Amino acid sequence: LLQQMWNQEKEHLKKFNELMVAYRVRPTVLLPLWNVAGFVLGAGSALLGKKGAMACTVAVEESISSHYNTQIRTLMEEDPEKYKELLQVIKKFRDDELEHHDIGLKHDAEEAPVYSVLKKAIQLGCKGAIFLSERI
Amino acid sequence: LRFPLSPPQRPLHASAVLRRISDERQKEPGAASSQFDSGPGPLPEQESRGPHPSYTGQGGQESEDFESEEQLQHRILTAALEFVPEHGWTAEAIAEGAKTLGLSSAAAGMFHSDGSELILHFVSQCNTKLSEMLEQEQKLVQLGEAEKKPMDQFLRDAVEARLRMLIPYIEKWPQALSILLLPHNIPSSLNLLTSMIDDIWHYAGDQSTDFNWYTRRAVLTGVYNTTELVMLQDSSPDFEDTWRFLENRVADVMNMGSTANQVQSTGEALVQGLMGAAVTVS
Repeated sequence: LLQQMWNQEKEHLKKFNELMVAYRVRPTVLLPLWNVAGFVLGAGSALLGKKGAMACTVAVEESISSHYNTQIRTLMEEDPEKYKELLQVIKKFRDDELEHHDIGLKHDAEEAPVYSVLKKAIQLGCKGAIFLSERI
Repeated sequence: LRFPLSPPQRPLHASAVLRRISDERQKEPGAASSQFDSGPGPLPEQESRGPHPSYTGQGGQESEDFESEEQLQHRILTAALEFVPEHGWTAEAIAEGAKTLGLSSAAAGMFHSDGSELILHFVSQCNTKLSEMLEQEQKLVQLGEAEKKPMDQFLRDAVEARLRMLIPYIEKWPQALSILLLPHNIPSSLNLLTSMIDDIWHYAGDQSTDFNWYTRRAVLTGVYNTTELVMLQDSSPDFEDTWRFLENRVADVMNMGSTANQVQSTGEALVQGLMGAAVTVS
């Protein structure tokens, strides 16, 4: 199951890398930082046990889905025709992430230790990362 | 992700506009994130949507016969370039340029007295020419009519081509450089420099999406700037010393990549050795 989710995420990463090159977008300077932070988050929540890892998944996937939704809204407001392909890609990824979110819930994420605190902290971190990356 | 633009000077619009036109013609689907995208300014071919030019008289409906202020400034500056070798990057050159277009030399009053716009216009024009050249080259390679160059050759040729555009103005170029470094010009000149370097890497086939994106551009900027300075003091025939300097610097860039890899593999080998030792001991 984890393997499947991981494969989907790898696919997302690959697609975004391709899009970055196609649109000639500048990567955020903070990228190395996020690489480390992501690893620490994953490893850390895994140390909290299976439920901890699931809780982390739920939190992150929720943040990401809402981020994707914001992006979809922005693109739709600007020009749905022009961005049709991009919109399709983002919608598919958002649906994938929501699926991961539900899987996390199904696997007892809510029973993880200090679930609500953990979830809030992770989501705050995600929001902060997105905020900074959009600017730097 | 956007490049923060300082409040754009109006003549720069013309150059930005020119760049946008060539960009829009050249870019693949999804030209949305061009670095000049956040700049306003109407395209000359389109109906005016943005800031209205000042001499449209009544109404303001822009027809094809009316020239926007940006276009006019653009033409004056282009004409002025001819007089730079004689007058330097000054209001005199601009005045002379205006005269060749049949305008009064008072037209130079439209611009700053330090010649900033003239220089920025020139740089922007050179960058556009470079982009067009690289685009052409890329097309030929895609059509199979030309060989794809190895990376170091490509970088050398691109930088050389760009620097050669300075040759007619080389006497007065030091003056131009010092003006470009004035605080009020730095945002624009930096922007032009970075977008040129980004262009070169893009056509060289750079596809990095990690921190390499930054290291490559920083390194190439260094190569470009140092070679430019060498060129200013070069008195060899056809600047051969400069091109040799450039060749060495580009070779350094290539080595840097492999050196980084070597350091990494050495590090990894070391770690493995230590782990092995630890296992043996325990």
